[in-house]
Amino acid sequence: MFSFFLLTGILIISLFFFLLGYNRAKNLINLNQKNLHSLTHYYGIFCSLSALLPTLGVFFIFTICDDLVFAELVKEYIPNEVINSKDYNFTIVLAQINNSVEGLIFGTPPQWVTNAAEIWKSWVIKSNILTMIVCAITILTSGFLSYKKIHSEFRSRNAVEKIVMTILAVSSVIAILTTIAIIFSVVFESIRFFALIPYDEFLFGTVWNPQFEGAERAGSGQEGLSQYGAIPLFAGTFLISIIALCVSVPIGLFSAIYLSEYASSKERAFFKPLLEVLAGIPTVVYGFFAALTVAPFLRSSGSMLGLDIASESALAAGLVMGIMIIPFISSLSDDVINAVPQSLRDAGYGLGSTKNETVMKIVLPAALPGVVASIILAVSRAVGETMIVVMAAGLAANLTANPLEAVTTVTSQIVTILVGDQEFESAKTLSAFALALTLIIITLGMNFYALHVVKKYREQYE
Amino acid sequence: MNSKKNDLKSLELTVGDVFSKNARLKARNVNVFYGENKAIDNVTIDIGNKEVISFIGPSGCGKSTFLRCFNRMNDTIDSCVIQGEITIDEENIYDKKIDVVPLRARIGMVFQKPNPFPKSIYDNVAYGPRIHGLSENKEHLDNIVEESLKRAGLWQEVSDRLSSPGTGLSGGQQQRLCIARAIAVSPEVILMDEPCSALDPIATAKIEELIHELGNEYSIVIVTHSMQQAARVSKRTAYFHLGKLIEVGKTKEIFTRPKHNQTEAYISGKIG
Repeated sequence: MFSFFLLTGILIISLFFFLLGYNRAKNLINLNQKNLHSLTHYYGIFCSLSALLPTLGVFFIFTICDDLVFAELVKEYIPNEVINSKDYNFTIVLAQINNSVEGLIFGTPPQWVTNAAEIWKSWVIKSNILTMIVCAITILTSGFLSYKKIHSEFRSRNAVEKIVMTILAVSSVIAILTTIAIIFSVVFESIRFFALIPYDEFLFGTVWNPQFEGAERAGSGQEGLSQYGAIPLFAGTFLISIIALCVSVPIGLFSAIYLSEYASSKERAFFKPLLEVLAGIPTVVYGFFAALTVAPFLRSSGSMLGLDIASESALAAGLVMGIMIIPFISSLSDDVINAVPQSLRDAGYGLGSTKNETVMKIVLPAALPGVVASIILAVSRAVGETMIVVMAAGLAANLTANPLEAVTTVTSQIVTILVGDQEFESAKTLSAFALALTLIIITLGMNFYALHVVKKYREQYE
Repeated sequence: MNSKKNDLKSLELTVGDVFSKNARLKARNVNVFYGENKAIDNVTIDIGNKEVISFIGPSGCGKSTFLRCFNRMNDTIDSCVIQGEITIDEENIYDKKIDVVPLRARIGMVFQKPNPFPKSIYDNVAYGPRIHGLSENKEHLDNIVEESLKRAGLWQEVSDRLSSPGTGLSGGQQQRLCIARAIAVSPEVILMDEPCSALDPIATAKIEELIHELGNEYSIVIVTHSMQQAARVSKRTAYFHLGKLIEVGKTKEIFTRPKHNQTEAYISGKIG
């Protein structure tokens, strides 16, 4: 609540600085009887932005840092016997104190927790006052300084340009930092996992069976109860992805060719959005389509042919996943094929090629790198897909190349491991992070390669 | 009898001699529509055997559109409708029986912007012979490629790097590669749509020289913006204005003694 009011105040003051800057520019024009370097509103924008941005920065630093500082300070108020006790965990203690601060009191907390919470509350008030004062000082000084900068020679248009550029740059840095942070959070948990389970067992083991995990695993001689060989999971992932590609690459590519080369503009305007609707269907819907429609159909038609198809099979999941990624391939390939210059087609027709020859021998080879890139992007989408597999392919970690059996994938295992209450100390829970890390590395590698291919393709026409 | 009358009708529009003694291509009363728009209005002209003829005229006068009628390149545009008759060796190319594929092999085309395929130099030239099955074996194909590149005046420059990409050549070399690609299928007529407009003067000079030489073996129709170029490369010139063929005649006469006042205005730079 406090933050909301403070932010509103900051915005109102910076609006006020806009008016100040604007009026000063107007006055300067009247005074000198001569136009300024930039239009008057640029002076206002400059003033308000240079008041607003530093203040926002200060505000966020304070609101993020105060909890961290309090957490450090509150340690002094935790009694020594608690700290020295066997199952002391600072995170839990901190959560207790925080709950008490927010009035969520379960049972009767110990006296020291209540005390610490009281002190914490007083800190919050102090820090709020401090934040307010610092923000006020920042906004007034920076606003006033920028106001002072405005004189007849000042180029506010260029200054605003620089400020805007900074905002854009900061936004992209935030996006990049988030990605890095996600990767690091996974990496740290994975390191903990690999401290329990050797990485070669994880990477090369052929049995995945984390069910009997308990705390006794580490060094207690109980080895062999649960096994963390990731190969069946990755094999399952690739089996399903390959089935998906067998469906989506021909259909996606051919429909892209039809849409870009053969369809009239009317047909194109009708079919292309229709294909892209496929991309808008939530994967969970595909999931029950696979589990409730496709899998039983496969099972019954298989039994007619004398084949024994599991009701949860890689085939069902792969087929439906293939349908799901058709729009990725068709839409991207369509764009790539359209990007092939018309002059190349003209050259082909001019030499007497038929339409098919032109497409196959000129347009597709020219578009091939882009098509390949779209397929690679679709693969990384297929590898990362979860819902369909969870619902249609089952959870049994079979190491098999038979598409008629149930398999499981990396992502669906991660889901089953992390759903519900978990102990964070057990190798079972941590294995989810190791799986995620391996998956991230694989998909990052594929995306990187796809971008590389696309770049190479662009160079051909420049 | 009827066609004679029609000829006269378009003769009312066109000044000069539209007919040719040994005509290869004949266009009779050709109208071209883009939807409602009439792009070519009742044009009649002959293109002689082994003759270089240039089409000149201001932008948008329909000269490129008319050129593309000869190898039916306008077929690819949905809204384009063509009326009238165009014959090659007395065969109507818009006849339903005519297959456009061999037709385009007989009538080659070179485009405004050099458009080599993103393949090797060799594959660029070999493309046409391959799809039309003109070569019996690899050796024969090699010969065709070499011969075509020689005729296009490119052999000396590229003989040592036939496998490098055609897109890596300079603009002028690319255009000569496109010419080599066109003559590799041994066409009878070559249509050139402003082949030098994207090239520098030196490359242009080379192409013009090449056109001059090729004129001994092929009928060449060249659309150009440059009147000097028309004067340099062609024996006959046709002047188009707003979809109408205004005047046809010997290049020398068109440029020195134009008969129609519109031609004169264009030549002297008043319109265009």
